[in-house]
Amino acid sequence: MLVLSRREGESVVIGNDIVVTVLEVRGGQIRLGVEAPRSLQVHREEIFREVSEANRTAMGSTDEHQARLDAARKRTD
Amino acid sequence: MTDTVVGDNTIVFAEGIPGFPDHREFQLVDFADGESAFQLLQSTTDPDLSMIVCSPWIFFPDYAPEISDADRDGLELVNPDDAVVFCPVTIDSEASLSVNLLGPFVVNAGNRHGRQVVLVDSDYAVRTPIEIVAT
Repeated sequence: MLVLSRREGESVVIGNDIVVTVLEVRGGQIRLGVEAPRSLQVHREEIFREVSEANRTAMGSTDEHQARLDAARKRTD
Repeated sequence: MTDTVVGDNTIVFAEGIPGFPDHREFQLVDFADGESAFQLLQSTTDPDLSMIVCSPWIFFPDYAPEISDADRDGLELVNPDDAVVFCPVTIDSEASLSVNLLGPFVVNAGNRHGRQVVLVDSDYAVRTPIEIVAT
């Protein structure tokens, strides 16, 4: 991992068009500003991981989904 | 925003979806048994890879996701009426259903580009329990 020290108001540039700026350092929290091409989504990591994990759980084959749906219907009957 | 689901043409997720970065094109497919509340979002390159989805408003009429400016820009969403929203559904081993209200899919019906957005500063949960509606 590349480690860089930055002060408030300073930035790092990633590639040609991503700029991450330290906006504010207060207590144990840092506010970051991210400028990136609009084609790139920027996420808080823990939430991104949570959504990824939920997606992996939700993915399956058509037959699996049909079986689960049938089971869910049976459960509510 | 509309809660109707687009037809079964290809939707392009230019960045893939979280957990599945290699799958960029999906289609909405109906269940063969005529199920009306749920559909499948199916990879066009691997038909065995799909996810159950539903319109969130079937279960949560007051659902009000705030799509960020960055996501609107990314989808080139100029007219809010072009946004089609649907959410992932998980059925666990106990046959209990939940819907992901924090990470809805948003599709621009105009250009058929889609994104799974992650709502910022929202109280919605990734696993919100729902009960199946008898049809």
